[in-house]
Amino acid sequence: MTIFHFALKRSFGNRANLLFLTLFPIACIFLPSGEGWPFLPYGYQYFGIFILFASIRLAAIMLEDRAKGVVKRLAVAPVSHLRYISQNLLAYLCIMVVQCAVVVIGGLLYGQQLYQPAWLMLLYISFSAASLAVALAWISLYRNKEISFLVFMPIVFLVAILGGIMMPVDIFPEGLRRLAVVFPTYWLAKGLDWIAFGESIGPFLLVNGVLWLYAVVFVIMGSARKIE
Amino acid sequence: MRVLATIPFTLLRMVRSYIVLLLLLAMPILLLTVFAFILKGAVTETGEPYLYQTAITMVLTFQLFGGSIVMSYIQTDFFSEFRARIFALPFNRTMYAFSIMMCGTVYSILMGLILMAYTQFVLGVAWTNWLWAIYILSLMSILSSVVYLIITFAVKSFKTAERLSVLYGVSFVTLAGLFFPMPDNAFFRFMGSYGNPLALSVEAVLNMSRSNSGGAWFQANLLLAVTVVLFALMLLVGRRRMA
Repeated sequence: MTIFHFALKRSFGNRANLLFLTLFPIACIFLPSGEGWPFLPYGYQYFGIFILFASIRLAAIMLEDRAKGVVKRLAVAPVSHLRYISQNLLAYLCIMVVQCAVVVIGGLLYGQQLYQPAWLMLLYISFSAASLAVALAWISLYRNKEISFLVFMPIVFLVAILGGIMMPVDIFPEGLRRLAVVFPTYWLAKGLDWIAFGESIGPFLLVNGVLWLYAVVFVIMGSARKIE
Repeated sequence: MRVLATIPFTLLRMVRSYIVLLLLLAMPILLLTVFAFILKGAVTETGEPYLYQTAITMVLTFQLFGGSIVMSYIQTDFFSEFRARIFALPFNRTMYAFSIMMCGTVYSILMGLILMAYTQFVLGVAWTNWLWAIYILSLMSILSSVVYLIITFAVKSFKTAERLSVLYGVSFVTLAGLFFPMPDNAFFRFMGSYGNPLALSVEAVLNMSRSNSGGAWFQANLLLAVTVVLFALMLLVGRRRMA
């Protein structure tokens, strides 16, 4: 697990990254609750957007590897590409899981109304997996870290709005409501609604299943080895 | 005035930076289009379409980030890649820096104008007073350039300066309560109204279209005053850094 170890080290070695990865989840805990909508406090509704940004920042390390020729050196080293990808992704997922735990446990301690914290945690983890996969697929399109991040930013906002995180899908016109289903954020928003109101576990498992499906599909799309 | 000869090239350089175009033009257009679909037919109690407020806010919000292009050009020309070349040129460097700032401001205003035209002619938002809106837009654009330059001059590391500048935009958008409602106490009430350039400018445009011109002028003059004060500050820190 050497690669795993160093992926963790590199993610935390960067001071800006460390600040970004710890400050925002803590800020999320203290955001107020809305009136009527969203059902969970704002910090928990918007945490999905943070997850998307955090995952692109983490995955950008692999983009750097490609740009600096590390991938080329790895190709001649006795390390399989599968190992490289999987251990990196696992390290990033671990970091995300820690953040989800910080947010959920912090919220419990602070006294936020979280309805079903254990399921909320599961939902965040599923969404983290999906968004890491999306980030992996996204960076495979780019050569430059900055540009990939800058182009990702508007897309995150669009997807957050169209998926129903920033505003409820119910107020959308028919066409947009149907389109929303395509975005992973829609399933996150649906899961968050379930956390507040859901009773039978079925629909919630469906939401998580769809998110993991996204994860698998995007990992397959993004994991091709590219040597420049 | 040899600096004048550089202006067309500065403008050309700006128009060709497609990332800026994408972030400050394509993104708001997309967002506004989505909002237009969502808010179709929704009106406030006074009969004003919701989309009108959204459009004003969006156009002015993106002006908060308009200074980024000035910032990056000043950085490359005066403090990093082109520094030696620019310092070897036989022209007035202060004027050149100034011309970059003016070009960036005009460019940012232009993008705001395109957005306004788009909302008026494609999405059917009626901007009641174009001249007033353009005046406010220009104030916001100049203010943003000035603030970004102060940050560039005052902070040693450009990375930090970039982050601070993003923080300037995002924090005022948040304080204006666009992401979620702010807590209701004196500090946040002030930062959501008179202490916030975005809130000031949005209110100024709205007040003018509601024919409350007294309030509108008051808010615009506040903005102008802040801009003038910060401009002086920018000259001060700029002289120290350039020397």
